[in-house]
Amino acid sequence: MEKQNFEKKLTAMTKPEIHQLKHEDMLAHAIINAKDKSVVGWWWLSVPLFIIMMLLMKSFYMPGTSLITSIHELAGKEKYISLIFFLIAPLVLILVNILTIRKIYFLSGSPKSMNFLENVWFNVLIIVITVLILIIYSL
Amino acid sequence: MKFPWFKRIGIFFIPASAAGWIILLAGIVFAIYSFLDIDGRSHSVSDTLMNFVFMLLIIGAVYSLIAYLTSRIAKK
Repeated sequence: MEKQNFEKKLTAMTKPEIHQLKHEDMLAHAIINAKDKSVVGWWWLSVPLFIIMMLLMKSFYMPGTSLITSIHELAGKEKYISLIFFLIAPLVLILVNILTIRKIYFLSGSPKSMNFLENVWFNVLIIVITVLILIIYSL
Repeated sequence: MKFPWFKRIGIFFIPASAAGWIILLAGIVFAIYSFLDIDGRSHSVSDTLMNFVFMLLIIGAVYSLIAYLTSRIAKK
């Protein structure tokens, strides 16, 4: 009788099932975090992009001026603003976005295909624009 | 402190607590103050708008950074 009960208990026992894997949660959290970071990145990029747009318009309407000379003039006049928005912020943004993409890549199981880019294309775009800003500033 | 203070909707961080509303109001008050200050020193409408938009973007950048840092939920 006791043996039968024990067998019943054994058959009733099942393996513990985990319906949601921990790394799925981590991946979802990382993707949401990456989107939040990219929004902050766009706000910080909007300042140098606005300056570049204004200087481009200036070079278009004022003869004898160019974007590069205007940027150099700005770097001389507003040393700290240009340093923060054209050098420090872009470098920080590149670093943060690379680390974010790397994290999502590893959490997605290091996929060989480019499908995972669907989640991080915004971060890649930020890196590309940031590199362009750095190139313009360093010319 | 009780987080999160903000929640993100699109490209904006919307306050989700009293502290968030205080930060947003402080940003708006500072934006109005800078508009009046810039307007008092500028010589034309375009001069005012160009400088004000620049200041507004800086305020937006700082606000979004604060909002991002205070909208993160602590890991369990």
